Amino acid sequence: MQQHRALILRSNRFLGSALVDKGLVASADLESANGKFMEAIQSADLKRASILSTLLFELKSLDESRLLEYLVDEERLGLVDLDFLELDSLRPMNVDISLCWASSTVPFDHVEGTYMLASCYYMSAPVVKHWEDLLDGRVLWYGTSTASLSRALERIEEIHETEDAAAEDE
Amino acid sequence: MPHSVLILDDDADFNSLLTDIFEQADYVVTSLTDPVEAVDVFRETEYDLVVTDHKMPEMTGAEFMKVIKKIRPEVPVIMVSGYLENDTIRELIGEGVGGVFLKPLNIFSLLERTSELIEEAKKLSAAPEGGDEGEDAGVQLGFAFRSYPCKSGASASFAERLHSLRNFKSTLSLIGEPGMHYRSICEDIRGFYETDAEHFIYLSAGSFDEAQALALVEAGQKGGAERVTCVLLELETMSDAQKALATKLAKHEGPFEEVGVALRTIFCISGDLDSLFDEGLIDENLYILMGTAEVRVPPLRDCNVDVGVMAQQLVVEIAREKSLASVPRFERSARDLFRQHTWERNYEELRAAVRKIIEDNPGDVITHAAVKSALRVEEGASPRTRFESHLSSQQVDYIRAASVLFGGDRSKTASFFGTDVTAVEAKMK
Repeated sequence: MQQHRALILRSNRFLGSALVDKGLVASADLESANGKFMEAIQSADLKRASILSTLLFELKSLDESRLLEYLVDEERLGLVDLDFLELDSLRPMNVDISLCWASSTVPFDHVEGTYMLASCYYMSAPVVKHWEDLLDGRVLWYGTSTASLSRALERIEEIHETEDAAAEDE
Repeated sequence: MPHSVLILDDDADFNSLLTDIFEQADYVVTSLTDPVEAVDVFRETEYDLVVTDHKMPEMTGAEFMKVIKKIRPEVPVIMVSGYLENDTIRELIGEGVGGVFLKPLNIFSLLERTSELIEEAKKLSAAPEGGDEGEDAGVQLGFAFRSYPCKSGASASFAERLHSLRNFKSTLSLIGEPGMHYRSICEDIRGFYETDAEHFIYLSAGSFDEAQALALVEAGQKGGAERVTCVLLELETMSDAQKALATKLAKHEGPFEEVGVALRTIFCISGDLDSLFDEGLIDENLYILMGTAEVRVPPLRDCNVDVGVMAQQLVVEIAREKSLASVPRFERSARDLFRQHTWERNYEELRAAVRKIIEDNPGDVITHAAVKSALRVEEGASPRTRFESHLSSQQVDYIRAASVLFGGDRSKTASFFGTDVTAVEAKMK
């Protein structure tokens, strides 16, 4: 995760500003979330360093369904529940799972050269740019909930562990 | 058909003099000495222009103007007075006064301005709705804002956003291009509060240290402040120690933990925050702290309708500073030049250009040629100066790019350019 430190800082800063700009979060709540975010960053607990999670679960100052509604209504994004999808290893796509954790984004399908990405951080411009640069712009974006994304990444980690174990056996 | 003018001055002699001047210039004049009566008369009668004194017993000229602007905002107003403070003049211009004339009057300038204002008002009333953004077609803000006249969409949105964020809890960031007038903008924020319990202090790279900051906060506290807002100007030019102190200030840590008054911080920064972060000029703490309430300061090129008014405000300020007998004004084509210019160095460049114009003694009317000449000087007196300036800015860009390339490692950057670390650091600052 350390290699994604700059992206984590930038994407969280942009997400926080965007949430305030769009009236989804009050500045005072963002100030509190920023404080907790910096504590996580400084304790090197980068997986916990998420302004979104802090706002949703610690401060309870953002309602996730409202955020998802915003993505659908204003950003014209489709939503996906990753729990209902069969997920594969990210390795054939040359995608590092730590980047997925760092950006709260996962590629969940790849059809005819186009990648389907599910993200909780679509409102953060650096996340969108990072992935579009990485995948040469051939991206279709979907919104997803934080719980759905976390479970999906855990399932992918298990897939990777199984792959690693199989490779060791060979 | 002659135009009609309402003249209001409680000094009967001066009122009579003004009446004679306007009548001899073929205006139909109503002269009154009582502002309350003048409001009633204005409400009942169509006028093309109003001339008012400022200092009157029942109501000041500014108050009178506010009342009649609510009745018919399209009628231009000229203010005449024996003496006016710079701030009052700026305020009057900001509130829509079409001309300010100090006694003794220059009759010809007064009549010329009267004629211009009536023509402009006629053109505006003839223009279709939603047409071109005219200089007087400003957005009506519900609060005072002087750093921008807010006659363009960008500056009006900026003012409204600042006003909506005026009760920010701990940090606010103003991010703009080089040459912005951050201090005036922060004075506007200060002006959003009617109470004296809000105290603003200004800290810049030249002098910001723990002792100075604490002393200023303490002085504010002793002066009755309930909350002190610390404005950090040109944050990007501060030393690492100053930036670390700025972080402590914003987080109320270290020496600022025990301060017995509420503290807030406004960060003013020129440049792109992300580039400054990449270059290591802004650390992680500051970078995140600055994202809480962040406002982009509009560059002058995005507020071209404002620039002519800002130039006139500067003329007033400089004329006052130089104790000129009258305040010069721009001819219309000269003001258009201000609108068309790109203002690379923003307000700083505008102020330098206006100062240059006034120092060249333009007389009562600032011509197109005078403005053109001053803008040319500001762009660089000679090709050599312009070229040197261009190379110098390119040099800094290249050094910053190399610094990003080498992950902020100053010694690698210095080695790449065949120079020493001190020289690189000096350029990066």
